[in-house]
Amino acid sequence: MQISTVQPVFKLELNHKVTPNIVTIAKYDGTHPCLTACAGYDKIIIHHPHGGLAGRAQRSQAHGEVSELNLSQAVIALAAGQLRPDSNKDMLLIGSPTQILAYDVHDNTDLFFREASDGVNVITTGSFGKYTETLALVGGNSSVHGLDWEGNEIFWNVVSGKVCAIITFDYDKDGENELLIGCDDSYIRVLKNNQFIAELTETGPVLCLTPVNEVRFAYGLANGTIGIYEEGIRLWRVKSKQNAVSLQWSGESLACCWGNGRIDWREGSSGKVLRRVQMRTNGAAMLLCDYRSVGAPDLVCVSDKGEVLGYPPYQENANFNAASKKSLPSEEDRLAITELFNKKQALLVELQHNEANAASATSTDPEKPATAMPTNTKLQVAVVPSCEQGVLQLAISTNNETVVRAALVLAEGIFESGETLARHPSPAQLRSILHVPLCPPRDVPVDVHIKALVGYPESEQFHIFELTKQLPRFAMYTINPNSSYNKTIDNVTFRITERVQRLCIWINQNFLLEEEMELETEEMKELHVSLFCLRDRSILDMDFFADGHVKFSTNDLRLAGDLVQSLAVFLNLSDLQSVAHFPEAEKSLRVEMENASQIGQMRSRLAAETAERAQLITALLPAAQDAASYDLKEMLNRYKEVVMLNEELLTGCHIRRATQEQAVVSLKSLHRILQQAARLRVGKYSKDVVAASRRAVKENNIEALIKILQVGDS
Amino acid sequence: MDYNLSRIDYTVCGVTCPDTLKILPAYGQKTEQKIVIGDKNGVLQCFGIKDEEPVVQFKTLPGKPITSVQLAAASGTQSDKIFTASGNEVKGYTRKGKVFLSIETALTETITAMAFDFRNVVGSDLILCSGRTVTYYRDLREYHSYVCEDRVLDIATFAAPNNARVRLVVLIANKGAIILENGQLVARTSIPSGPTRLGVLATLHTADIFAFYGASDGSIGVLTFEHSVFSSKCLIEGRGLGSVVCFGWFYNNGGAHLAVGRYDGSIQLYLVDLENLSEKPRLMFTYLCGEPVTSISGGCVGGNEEGELIAATFSGRVFALRHSRMISGVANIIRASNDNLAARRAKLEQEIARLEKQTLNEREKYQRSTRSLYAGLSTPPLLNIQHEISGATKEGWQELQITSAVPLDMLFIYCNKKLHMLTDSAAVLSICSSQDNASDMLATVRCQAGMMRVWVRMRDISNKSLTSRSESKHVFVYVLPAGAPRVARLITLKLPTLPFYSQHEELNADTDSRSRSWCQLQVTGSFSVAEITSWLSDALPGELPRPTTNIAFARSHTLLGTIIICKYQRSLAIFKSDDVSAIAIIRNIVSNCSVEKRIRLDISCDIPDSYCLDSFENIKNKLADEYQKHKTIILKNSIRSLDLDYNLLSLDSEEPLLCEDYMLACKHVNNDTIQTYFTELVETILQWYNDWLSICLHSHNMKDDEQRLRKALMENNLEEVINIFSHKLKPIL
Repeated sequence: MQISTVQPVFKLELNHKVTPNIVTIAKYDGTHPCLTACAGYDKIIIHHPHGGLAGRAQRSQAHGEVSELNLSQAVIALAAGQLRPDSNKDMLLIGSPTQILAYDVHDNTDLFFREASDGVNVITTGSFGKYTETLALVGGNSSVHGLDWEGNEIFWNVVSGKVCAIITFDYDKDGENELLIGCDDSYIRVLKNNQFIAELTETGPVLCLTPVNEVRFAYGLANGTIGIYEEGIRLWRVKSKQNAVSLQWSGESLACCWGNGRIDWREGSSGKVLRRVQMRTNGAAMLLCDYRSVGAPDLVCVSDKGEVLGYPPYQENANFNAASKKSLPSEEDRLAITELFNKKQALLVELQHNEANAASATSTDPEKPATAMPTNTKLQVAVVPSCEQGVLQLAISTNNETVVRAALVLAEGIFESGETLARHPSPAQLRSILHVPLCPPRDVPVDVHIKALVGYPESEQFHIFELTKQLPRFAMYTINPNSSYNKTIDNVTFRITERVQRLCIWINQNFLLEEEMELETEEMKELHVSLFCLRDRSILDMDFFADGHVKFSTNDLRLAGDLVQSLAVFLNLSDLQSVAHFPEAEKSLRVEMENASQIGQMRSRLAAETAERAQLITALLPAAQDAASYDLKEMLNRYKEVVMLNEELLTGCHIRRATQEQAVVSLKSLHRILQQAARLRVGKYSKDVVAASRRAVKENNIEALIKILQVGDS
Repeated sequence: MDYNLSRIDYTVCGVTCPDTLKILPAYGQKTEQKIVIGDKNGVLQCFGIKDEEPVVQFKTLPGKPITSVQLAAASGTQSDKIFTASGNEVKGYTRKGKVFLSIETALTETITAMAFDFRNVVGSDLILCSGRTVTYYRDLREYHSYVCEDRVLDIATFAAPNNARVRLVVLIANKGAIILENGQLVARTSIPSGPTRLGVLATLHTADIFAFYGASDGSIGVLTFEHSVFSSKCLIEGRGLGSVVCFGWFYNNGGAHLAVGRYDGSIQLYLVDLENLSEKPRLMFTYLCGEPVTSISGGCVGGNEEGELIAATFSGRVFALRHSRMISGVANIIRASNDNLAARRAKLEQEIARLEKQTLNEREKYQRSTRSLYAGLSTPPLLNIQHEISGATKEGWQELQITSAVPLDMLFIYCNKKLHMLTDSAAVLSICSSQDNASDMLATVRCQAGMMRVWVRMRDISNKSLTSRSESKHVFVYVLPAGAPRVARLITLKLPTLPFYSQHEELNADTDSRSRSWCQLQVTGSFSVAEITSWLSDALPGELPRPTTNIAFARSHTLLGTIIICKYQRSLAIFKSDDVSAIAIIRNIVSNCSVEKRIRLDISCDIPDSYCLDSFENIKNKLADEYQKHKTIILKNSIRSLDLDYNLLSLDSEEPLLCEDYMLACKHVNNDTIQTYFTELVETILQWYNDWLSICLHSHNMKDDEQRLRKALMENNLEEVINIFSHKLKPIL
């Protein structure tokens, strides 16, 4: 597809660099939109073509309509929204690594200032669920929380990965918005009423999300994939070499701004590219805003060099190009004819191919031609767990003397490099069977597409066989070959009322067992399965007792949670309470809590020291300058002191940074355990765990936390 | 872009060879011209265009692939006789499709190589090019022939002054062009960019020899023969455009235009000043069609006064580029043509529905056969795929180009050694984790929908040991199409060990350059010319001369400019080079191959003692230049990481914050046009030193010296380098 010659409707230069993805547009006075962006580390620039700004912002030297705002901390995220219920003015939310500042640009006042112990990755504004007022929604390293205009925490929840994107979207069409959270652990999670109601597995860190219409939303991943979901089902996806910087729905098409500065408009239902333009430099952001005040939102594209381009909503046949403005209906016909010719050509090739094949089949040449293969060749694929190597062996075999020359396995997220795994045996090892080792790193259902090239060893052309195999969620667990392994004492138990037959079906659907699990007799009321994990050779015991008690014994807390969630979905359980016994997790919970409180104390001490030294320096410096006029020796001494203090400050800074990093790490693992504890329960019990543990963390109550982990409530 | 031409699709034929579409001259009263095209299925068809719809005049039965189509006639009349070449046959057709001539030539040898190429008919003279020979027929009898150094690509005829003879301009692959008269070489010139095709203005078959040539790097130039001097001049540089596949001529009110069809699927129109042909032509129009253009020609086909451009692509699409004025035109004409268009569209849709049904039947038939117990053989024909591998660029990349007649889905690449790889921006390269033995490489290239050509660049992962450098790499490329024939074609490649030596040089020019420090390798033993050629094919990229009794040729290094001269005959081979590493590698290859074949060889090397010093003197200035560039790039990178804003800095002109040099670097901080080969040069010099030491068998105390040398080179301390080299002048005994 050629680059379109579409001209933007407006174009301006900010004369500042723009940090990708830290850009927002806000109406600080309630009417006029102002483009606001981070221009490197701690500088925020505000473009205000409709009149200047008062207050802290300084007019930029490089551009008359741009003001600069300097913070003392790095800017990580920017957002704006009408937070104050009593005002229609947008408030600017500035996220730095550890703090959130809400600032009223128009009135030059701070709304609130809050420490964010879990860090800040992304901020958006919006209302969701039962909260009617606009909230600031903040995504951290392992948690998400909502703040009201006074900075009060309205809700809080834990997620397993770093939050990269948040939108409000009515996922289940009940008239209330849910929160869609894109994480770097490749999940899109739906938070409703402080409870995760859906989890969409993706193949890479989720970088951007955008609502499309009532039922659809679009997503972009760090591996270059973009796509659209409709009611929880993926409509389409395409993969590019570039990463999507931003996605916006504009004029009935999905506009996508790529990292290299390319912008394309795609059809919503198929992903077909309709139009494509290229910015001069890399893309930084793309927003939807009525920047010209004409009544309809334009696409505002910002490049990393500060170039801003505005495009109106996409319209078909509107080629904007002056020459072909009088676009004709015949043009459409002509394009259709070119398309039809493409189709005809493809069909002709296939026909010719078939004819030639049929013609050569009748000839009885005893020599095997370079492209031959018996017509009744079939390909079989089986997945066999291999305990020695700790992998699943994908066995691909033909049913005759032909060989499998090569096999390509296409799947995403399960290979350490790229999206394919290939096997190409050396000529001496060519057989009619080929093994490909698979090792999915996490417990999610995986679709593997297999392309096998079949022919004779000397062939010049091979037949392509294509197959798709679905690996169930718990494919990496196989029947324990010998029961002599040490049983683990860590377990989770709960009670369900379900027949064992149904549980059998669940096992067969979610595990890849060599033989289907079957009950020996109809009367059997109990089921005991011992499984072996191929990844780390640990043991998983599942016991279903006659009285409805279920016990999953594993030392992996996450696996236990996955099993509970999977079973709950299968049995359609709305609520489930469970009792957990995980001494290892409890121990690490204690350690992390200990760490967190220690770090908190240390941080305040360090902050005090730093403040003290900084004050000293501010006092010493003018003193040194004064001394220059009467006593050079004295001046030298004072400067020496300043240098010394400065060095101390620097060391202090390094220590602070180290503790901060440590704090983030331990907070993250703490949150992970809490999240996993929540996943051991279903429905309202799961919600209770989150609420209770937040309370306990605030009160620094370790015992309560452990109790929550064990029984789900303090 | 001065013209606004839009595409109109006419028809589909089989896969086409370059330059197989011609436009017949208008006949009688009519102004409409007819199109004639021959494809690889051997079908020659001639059709006119009525209401944008092809009306077939005649169509032959399938046969041998048609490799060339030319129009000619007895002098004085319009050239309306169609001549086609397929295999070793030449056929002549009248404009009505009647065969009036059919000859089978005696060009037996080249026919087996399927390199038959037929070009031109002047009166009753017929000149055929096949492989490396140009054969001249008079009254259908072989008159004389001439054998060139390399493949003959294209030929054009000119009248010789003051006599009835014909002068031929012959374009020779990798070399340049020669002029032949009466079977004798008159003049020659070299075209370093690798010529591909000739373009001659039809009205210009006069005494002055003047022809345009297209090159594989995309450039276009002229060949002139004036005052007995045959010379070539580049007019338009390639600038990243694909290699030129075909030329055509297009006339309109604006004048004469040279139409260029390229491998990358682009078509350009250049306005040529007929008064002054060596003036740089002006680019007037560009169109991208997505697949290689094989033929292009201008004429009045659609019944309009104004001409249109007809193009054929590799996969066999024939389409016109017509002025949009003629498409939009006056209102009532539009309406008429709209109705036509709709009708045409409906007709096509019907045809496709029919074809779909037919293919469905075929598919079912095939499906049935797969289920039957009786195992028939499925032998699908080979996919139509062309591939070509280029010599290494300055960075060492070797490019594999794959062209297919059907859209591609994936390439699967296997190599027995690790390689660096790159691919098209429209394709996704993914390197797979390697198999059990970690030395091999597996990669896949996934293509975007509708891609019919793709390139892959491969580069050696630099390896120091001589043995691994002298092993050639075997690359298997499996080409998987996206659509119907579910078969994968295997392409086997051998990457040469000396990929840089891809430039052909003339022998006489470089042998007398005394400044080079020649190393010589002499091999004697009982080997044939064919054997030594096959050994050399492991080392040198591109095609080698066919084995004859006595062979001599020279190649030069793309980056260093060093030369290797190969002279061999039965039982004796002499290699001369000023690159000791190349000599070392060839020595290794020859000795390895002879061991495999169990042939006794005597190998002797003659390396000058002052080799390193002399060669370093030759390369010194280049190294110094590259060092400067290298430093500039480092400075730029560090300024860039400071993240300064040039606009802000330059505001304060009173008190400059940066010194002048730095300001300059800051200003151009973001254009990465400077490329440096500094590290490559340093590595090469180190390699020379090591190879020289090992080949001269004084290998003591190497590590220490090597480190000293590397340090001196990196710091550009030329005196120190010279010191080290001259210290080594006399081997310590």
